Amino acid sequence: MRGLLRNNFYATLAGAKAFAAVAVLLGIFVVAMDNAIPSLIIGYMLLVMIGFSLNSIASIRKESATKWGKYKLTAPVKRTDIVKSFFASQLLWLSVGIGFAALAVASSVALHGYPFDRDTDIFMLFVVGIGISLFMGAIFFPIYFLGGEERSEVILVVSLLGSIGIIMGLSTLVNKICPGNMTNRQIILSGIFVMACGAAAFAVSCPVAAGLFKKKEY
Amino acid sequence: MENILELQDVTKTYPKSDFTLDRVSFSLPYGSILGFVGENGAGKTTTIGCILNTIEKDGGTVTLFGREMGDRDTDIREKIGVVYDGDNFPGFWTAGQLSKVMAGLYRNWDKALFQKYLEEFQLPPRRKIRHYSKGMTMKLAIAAALSHHPELLILDEATSGLDPVMRDDMLDVFLEFVQEENHSILLSSHITSDLEKVADYITFIHDGKLILTAAKDDLVYQYAVMRCRESQFQALDKADILAYRKRDTQIDVLVADGGMARRKYRDVVVDHASVDEIMVLLVKGERI
Repeated sequence: MRGLLRNNFYATLAGAKAFAAVAVLLGIFVVAMDNAIPSLIIGYMLLVMIGFSLNSIASIRKESATKWGKYKLTAPVKRTDIVKSFFASQLLWLSVGIGFAALAVASSVALHGYPFDRDTDIFMLFVVGIGISLFMGAIFFPIYFLGGEERSEVILVVSLLGSIGIIMGLSTLVNKICPGNMTNRQIILSGIFVMACGAAAFAVSCPVAAGLFKKKEY
Repeated sequence: MENILELQDVTKTYPKSDFTLDRVSFSLPYGSILGFVGENGAGKTTTIGCILNTIEKDGGTVTLFGREMGDRDTDIREKIGVVYDGDNFPGFWTAGQLSKVMAGLYRNWDKALFQKYLEEFQLPPRRKIRHYSKGMTMKLAIAAALSHHPELLILDEATSGLDPVMRDDMLDVFLEFVQEENHSILLSSHITSDLEKVADYITFIHDGKLILTAAKDDLVYQYAVMRCRESQFQALDKADILAYRKRDTQIDVLVADGGMARRKYRDVVVDHASVDEIMVLLVKGERI
């Protein structure tokens, strides 16, 4: 697994470096700006969490340009471990995105004060960012192993839009269940519910993707 | 256990292309090199895919080190080194990064040995692989395949991108590898002259079927081509004919025993047959 994770890390690294550079510059700008209107910090938090995940997922297509995907199958690793390594890598890069988002929002609050209406808003932003990232991976990998490398860009777009749609759908469901003004406790519980759905989808997607990858021929 | 690799009636059909690997059987003894020859699309890579489980075979058995290798049998794959034709590794890596990845994949990865090969093959460790020439990428793949101390090398057109001098050097590396009596090589190649230099056995595959497996020395020293006129051809004992091919007024006839042919057919010219010529006659010629 160590070699697989390192392989995925190298595949993601160039894109991640470029994205991190943009994220740092953008982060400085966002933190420097007054946060009376919090749309900038909201956008930034979602961008970095989803962006690092997206870059990690997108790097899988780099392997299809060479015979490395086939070569890996001849190495002493199980196909299941190859798939697990992709999921693990996405989680790693998502945690990097969470780190960027946390640093930016903490700095902004420290410099300009708390910009949101409710105490739970920051938590919910993390829920949305993490939820979209988890659903995106959960959708992408099985379809990728089913649909083939040559359609990876389309699958990635479908996964991103699909994950946004699922989060919106879950939000609508929560609002239907709890109409009117929700208490902080209800909001936190609904956030946990959304995260749990994302985590469950991610966890279920891994063996599904592994099952599909087992049938893949090179 | 005499064979490091055994294939028994391996079949694989691709319905979309109408290609079938048809009951392929051969074995590779310990301490030897088996040349696997065939034209493009003959089924060499499909066979290798079935051996390495990158392709799911429809039937038959493949035994490696006395066992059938499933996905879980990573201990078997520890003992196999593989080189494919073309780009084996992502171009954005350096050889140094490749070494780090391989060290995480193979328990027996020998960083010092890999470094030695890099120096021997004059491969810059810090240059991105995409900036290597084709010959350099093949040398890198061979270095990587050897650096985890495999017992079986499976080389799919591994010498195809190399110039004759470098090919010769690589063949020396392969010969050195099989000096260990438990080491073997399956070498698929179009370059039959390479096989003539190093192979102990040669297997010919055509259109998904094995058409001949023989010891290389038998092919080189015993197989022969008779240059017959039509009347001479008609007079031949059909049992002696492996394959024949009409060329203008001459008919080339492949026979398994040149000495016998010279004694039996004194009025016919009998030439030594190169592996190339044997392959062409087996593939393009007709059988009786």
